[in-house]
Amino acid sequence: MERSTKKNGLINLFMLLLIGVAGLVVARVTHSQAGQIAAVFMGIGILVAAVSWFQMRLEESERLEKFEFDELARSKSSATLFEARDSETFPAQRSREQFERFFVPGFTALLLIGEGVGAWLLWRWLSKTSAAAEVVKPMVALALFGLFALILFLFGKFSATIARLEDHRLLRPGASWLLLSAYLCFVVAVGVVFVEAGFPRADIYVARGLTVLLGLVGLETLINLILELYRPRVKGKLARPLYESRVVGLLGQPEGLITTAAQALDYQFGFKVSETWFYRFFEKAVGWLLLLELVVLFLSTGIVFIETGEQGLLEHFGKPAAGQNALLGPGAHFKWPWPIDKVYRYRTEQIQSFDVGFTPESASENQNTILWSVAHTKEENFLVANRDQTTNTNSETGRIAPPVSLISVSIPVQFQITNLLEWVYNNEEPTNLLQNIANREVVRYLVSADLNDIMSENRKEAAETLRERIQAASDQHQLGAKIVFVGLQDIHPPVKVAGDYEKVIAARHQMKAKILDAQADAISTNALARATATNLINLAVSERVNREINAFAKAALFTNQVPAFEAAPSVYKQRAYLDAYARATANARKYILLTTNAQEVFQVDLQDKIRADLLNGLSVTPKK
Amino acid sequence: MKRNSITLLIGLLLVAIFVLLLFTFQVRTTSVAVVTTFGKPTRSISDPGLYGKWPWPIQKVYTFDKRVQTFEDKFTEDYTSDKNTLLTSVYIGWRITDPKAFFPKFAGGSVVEAEKILSGVIRHAKSAVVGNHPLSDFVSANGGGTNFVAIENEMLDAIRSQVRGNNYGIEVEFLGINKLGFPETVTQDIFTQMTSERNILISQLQREGEAQAQIIKSDADRRANEMLAAAKGKATEIKGEGEAEAVKALAVFQKKPELAKFIWSLNAMEEMLKSNSTLIMDPQQPPFDLLRGISTNSLAK
Repeated sequence: MERSTKKNGLINLFMLLLIGVAGLVVARVTHSQAGQIAAVFMGIGILVAAVSWFQMRLEESERLEKFEFDELARSKSSATLFEARDSETFPAQRSREQFERFFVPGFTALLLIGEGVGAWLLWRWLSKTSAAAEVVKPMVALALFGLFALILFLFGKFSATIARLEDHRLLRPGASWLLLSAYLCFVVAVGVVFVEAGFPRADIYVARGLTVLLGLVGLETLINLILELYRPRVKGKLARPLYESRVVGLLGQPEGLITTAAQALDYQFGFKVSETWFYRFFEKAVGWLLLLELVVLFLSTGIVFIETGEQGLLEHFGKPAAGQNALLGPGAHFKWPWPIDKVYRYRTEQIQSFDVGFTPESASENQNTILWSVAHTKEENFLVANRDQTTNTNSETGRIAPPVSLISVSIPVQFQITNLLEWVYNNEEPTNLLQNIANREVVRYLVSADLNDIMSENRKEAAETLRERIQAASDQHQLGAKIVFVGLQDIHPPVKVAGDYEKVIAARHQMKAKILDAQADAISTNALARATATNLINLAVSERVNREINAFAKAALFTNQVPAFEAAPSVYKQRAYLDAYARATANARKYILLTTNAQEVFQVDLQDKIRADLLNGLSVTPKK
Repeated sequence: MKRNSITLLIGLLLVAIFVLLLFTFQVRTTSVAVVTTFGKPTRSISDPGLYGKWPWPIQKVYTFDKRVQTFEDKFTEDYTSDKNTLLTSVYIGWRITDPKAFFPKFAGGSVVEAEKILSGVIRHAKSAVVGNHPLSDFVSANGGGTNFVAIENEMLDAIRSQVRGNNYGIEVEFLGINKLGFPETVTQDIFTQMTSERNILISQLQREGEAQAQIIKSDADRRANEMLAAAKGKATEIKGEGEAEAVKALAVFQKKPELAKFIWSLNAMEEMLKSNSTLIMDPQQPPFDLLRGISTNSLAK
């Protein structure tokens, strides 16, 4: 019997491995996303089956060891040799205990991580690829997944039946994964049928459903791990393998739903919860409750709540409901249940916006200063006319640049949906069309506008013109939108040449500075000239006064000198001469040559010994 | 028994839903549908509502969006008639007008396939129209605008004629140019040109500043010189007036001219000897004649 368990476990593992690989190949070839996710499930099943098979081997070794020990105990008369039942005596038991204590929780934790991360990655993958996904060779996918489902079901059912026998509990996890894989292959095949029946997204929906299921299995594994810590240990009762999923077991064997639930509760609480009155009532009424839930679920699609700021579009068999009933305002509304009536919601009061000419970057959002010469968004360059154009030849390439300029603009456009029917029914992607219209109007405006005008005085006018043009084009395409605002929030030369534009501004300031310096100099020059002129005049005036007074004073003196002179002409002259001579030479250096020999020649060396100032004022007449 | 009846009820309900889904289909206002019977298109439905059909594999329903779909072409480079390279991107609005014709032409009615075909048609039309116009038809501040709209219409006409000619089952509703540009190398040249323009402006401003400064200084110098000249003239005039007044006193000196000359000579001598004078005196002249006979430290021969 033990060998049969181990063999069944190995067959489970082998079948999951075989069908898993085959399923993955078929899913890849036929582009079935649901099939690929089913293969992921089978991959997890392989791990679980492998671990349970290993555990079976350990338990079998333990049984064999115990059997040998009992045989030896019976054959030996003395039991003292085996009295000490320590771990060294039963290595297989110790291995199994170590395995259950350390490996199983560790493996379960890894399983949890694998399931959780797998579900997350698969969901992301589906979000990216679902738009372009399309099942190819559907008949191949249908046939093979049907075959896989059948094979897995047969082996799984056989294994599950054996697992109910005593001491075969470790077959249960592998059997559950086999059966679940069989049902998943069947669901994948049904999804392909729906794709062929005209529901092309059926495969994607199945894939998403399976991804959610994987997440749920992961969640259950997490709960199992937590509950394992608090589960009461009943001596002698075999523990359920930690990695065995009840969700998988339930899905694999849905007929045992109630039994599984009861077993789970009994196992977790350690007493017979399944024998309480509430549980018995629930067991009896579960069918009606399920039916009631389905009915309530169906009827709940007959009422719809529209939030503030939203508008709902009610369609009856695909047609907008008659009259104004098609548009639902905020509040509760009754309608026929799905799929007769359907409601599509839109945020019509919300101001929506998009950007023309730039893509905001989160890194630059926190910048407080925005400069032309520093890129603050991912900018586009627009062609713009320039009246001041000068033809320029690139010195390196020899090419003549086209007679246009480039400009960067950042234009946020805000709009509101005003006519929902037009917005929904006339264009497949109205927002995209509106963006294209706005781009087109901006391009059209700039190519006929002057660079310098639009950057300065025509800026406000440009924004209003653009808003009017975008609105007109929107109305022409019956978009049902109102253009609330068009702003030229940023308009400047491209970053690469923005520095040169700033240099012009700097040069303009330098020019003004030069003019101001010159004006300051002029003021100074004129003020000094005025002062000098005044000084000259004042000097002349004082000189005149001095000259007049001096002349008359000298005349008065002379008038008094005349009688003295007439009285003693020679004496007066001599006295006047000597007085004047004494005064005049008072500060002069004097050399007096006293000699009686008139013939004697005196040589005075004036070269070195005479003071420098002796020769001041002397000049030598050049030889002719 | 009771449980079996509930199970049966739920099962019947699910089967009924499944059968309904298999035998009916809805067409939305936004859609048109083509029903194929054993792969052959047999019915085209453009009115919204609930319709019946035989289940797969007998009949199959293909639904298409009949609203205007926007398709944006790539940013491609073309030659203008004046030998400039220009990058253009256009968007078009197209809709499926004949689903029966559309369905077989584009791999099971694939919009993606249709847009691939349209992309080629658009690029061909775009290149042809761009090649017929100079750059100034696209960008010009002179002459009150450009031929922008006319160029768009030319492109639209070219695309429409191609699409209608091939009976694609679609209609191109509109076209707009949403992007114009130059290749990177030309863009660099334009940047160089823009820099040169700025340099011209900078040079102009610098020279203008210097010229204006020079003019201001020159004006100031002129005014200063004028003021000084006027002041000097005035000063000379004032001095002349003083001279004229002083001359009146000369009459007094005329009474004794030899004394006047002697006194003026003395005054002149006194003024001349006031500073930096070195005199070598003759002892025979008074008052140094008083020193004659006094022993001196005259040099020995």
